[in-house]
Amino acid sequence: MNALGIINFEDNTAIIDGLGEHRPVPAIAFLARYRIIDFVLSNMTNSGIDNVQVYCKEKPRNLIEHLGTGSHYNINSKRGKLRILYGEKTFPSPVYNNDIANFDLNMQYIESDKNPYVVVAPSYFIYSLDYNEVLKQHIDSGADITLLYTNTNEAKTSFLGCDVLTLDKEKKVTAMDKNRGNTKTKAVSLECYVLSKKLFIELVKEAKETSSLYWFKDVVKDNVEKLTVQGYGIKGFVACINSLQEYYRVSMLLRDRGVAQGLFKPGWPVYTQTNDSSPTTYGEGSNVTGSVVGNGAIIEGTVIDSIISRNVTIKKGAVVKNSIILQDAYVGENATLDHVVVDKYAIIHHKKGLTGTEEEPVYVKRRDRI
Amino acid sequence: MRPNTMAAMILAGGRGTRLLDLTKKVAKPAVHFGGKYRIIDFPLSNCANSGISTVGVLTQYESVLLNAYVAKDQFWGLDTNDGGVYVLTPREKDQKGFEVFRGTADAITQNIDFLDSVAPEYVLILSGDHIYKMNYDKMLQYHKEKQADATIAVLQVTLKEATRFGIMNCDENDMIEEFEEKPAHPKSNLASMGIYIFTYKTLRKYLLADDKNPNSSHDFGKDIIPAYLNDKRKLAAYRFKGYWKDVGTVDSLWESNMDLLKHDNELDLGDATWKIYTEDVNALPQYIGAEAKIENAYITQGSVVYGEVKNSVLGTNCQIGRGAVVVDSVIQPGAKIGEGAKVTRCIVADDVEIAPGAICGSADSKEIELIAKKYVE
Repeated sequence: MNALGIINFEDNTAIIDGLGEHRPVPAIAFLARYRIIDFVLSNMTNSGIDNVQVYCKEKPRNLIEHLGTGSHYNINSKRGKLRILYGEKTFPSPVYNNDIANFDLNMQYIESDKNPYVVVAPSYFIYSLDYNEVLKQHIDSGADITLLYTNTNEAKTSFLGCDVLTLDKEKKVTAMDKNRGNTKTKAVSLECYVLSKKLFIELVKEAKETSSLYWFKDVVKDNVEKLTVQGYGIKGFVACINSLQEYYRVSMLLRDRGVAQGLFKPGWPVYTQTNDSSPTTYGEGSNVTGSVVGNGAIIEGTVIDSIISRNVTIKKGAVVKNSIILQDAYVGENATLDHVVVDKYAIIHHKKGLTGTEEEPVYVKRRDRI
Repeated sequence: MRPNTMAAMILAGGRGTRLLDLTKKVAKPAVHFGGKYRIIDFPLSNCANSGISTVGVLTQYESVLLNAYVAKDQFWGLDTNDGGVYVLTPREKDQKGFEVFRGTADAITQNIDFLDSVAPEYVLILSGDHIYKMNYDKMLQYHKEKQADATIAVLQVTLKEATRFGIMNCDENDMIEEFEEKPAHPKSNLASMGIYIFTYKTLRKYLLADDKNPNSSHDFGKDIIPAYLNDKRKLAAYRFKGYWKDVGTVDSLWESNMDLLKHDNELDLGDATWKIYTEDVNALPQYIGAEAKIENAYITQGSVVYGEVKNSVLGTNCQIGRGAVVVDSVIQPGAKIGEGAKVTRCIVADDVEIAPGAICGSADSKEIELIAKKYVE
């Protein structure tokens, strides 16, 4: 595919309480063995995009470790390249650290790429899609920009703060607005843009000259009348991980194998970094139902409708319900958890219960001891 | 550059006839074990963890899958600049034509040119069909301390078991005086594990001599070790403690899998300091259904369990249908157990499908049943 992949970061409206304090959103663990970024990056490499730039907003350590050279995402190390880029000058200042500043500071790496097209997509939208089809439609339609969107009737509770589109009969974008959760049905922008590299560079420059607080989505919005912004609707599973509530809700949704099959499609692998964990041990008294379980875990207690990540320990008598337990966490004997998100390496020795709700799951901090 | 003092050579050419249909299309070292591993992952991971960077793998029987598998040396972190995994198969040679490996020693002799190019000081000979974790570097230190020409790893077995092994009779310093293959009346309980460290210069001479000997069967145990003993060479026995199992039969493969279910099992595949590495498969996490019942099981990535699993090991991408009951069994990767089927005391081979409602194996069978037909009604 003759496009440069640009994995953009989410704007500051995406706040994942707790989890987001320790790592950037793309590096957040997801569904027992993945990280959020695995989905968009796998979409790109499966589409045959060999050159990918990942822009990192903050706390890069986690992301750099996870992505490495990109070889585990099936990027040919000779013909392709995975670059992790960041705004060296804007890193410490959240207000000015927008995507435009990051693109501008790394413009030489965008300009030097030989591909005539760019596919720009953030990682916090999760879906499964062949970008070849989008590029083909983009070229066939003669549009200036092709913008991915999905129709949802859950806009009151999900995709809050996301861009919503007004589309004409030909699916051309005529207006862009923010989803404030006031209507059920909306066409939500996936913030994924396919366009020529030339126009992309022009728009970055225009945005920079307009305001130092501008994001790429702002300059696209400014141009919906001047340019042809063609909508490309995608069906199937789409989620936006922009809050702890959504992280929790979407994770729980994907416990259903039928739902998961809308995201994990045959011939379209989702790559991630291997951990070389052993299989999971289900002990004598274990009782596990309705759950998704990663490798390397040791489960001796009861697990109901939960997500258990790699190398988690659930001791005898513990009851874990409707909860998400991240890698290497430890749930001690007789502890009871309901609607709880336990971050990595946390240790819970707790006879009394921790109970949250669907709207407000309890969050247990990384390396916390209870 | 790191010193490349010891090269490993893994003998992986055997069929493993007693594994029956499990090795119909793949060599024994490529047979799956413990849900996600292949048997050869054990010596390869041990090499990687012991700091050995050059590993030759000698293959012969049904080698296509095995050759392709081990060539991906990045699985075990062996893809270093100064080493790697080298697939060594029988080849056509100038003046000699095409020759298959005539025995374990001959496999090495035929690759002396490879070893010469690596020029190691020591050669570690391993077999590709044992399940164990071992630090070969410690064994090398021992070999040096003993100033031995060869060191053989030995396991203490019971005298009854000793009749099934090659037995080392040693002096008080664990120097080997006599070697007996499967003795009827064993004098010692030190069984050879088929793991040898040789000082290469000496070994090279013996291999070349053995090559010319028309009466030799070209085997390490039967020919090379006796020749060393005959010449009063220094042979040390290196006592190994820990889990070790030859998984040469359907029953022993099953047993070794069942050992993983024991609480505090000795093999401890969860030990982060000595991981066993394997192929990285892009399978989903395990999906455990709302009506599933799992007790005492070892389950890996990609498995989908809707039924009941008890005392069993499930491989990558297995499916256990609703109402199915799997007890005391090993389900190899990709196998599907249909709804309501009952599987007891079986090994279900890779990608086998068991029809809904089928009944396989029985609780009081003497031997473990191997189910290897693609579709079982």
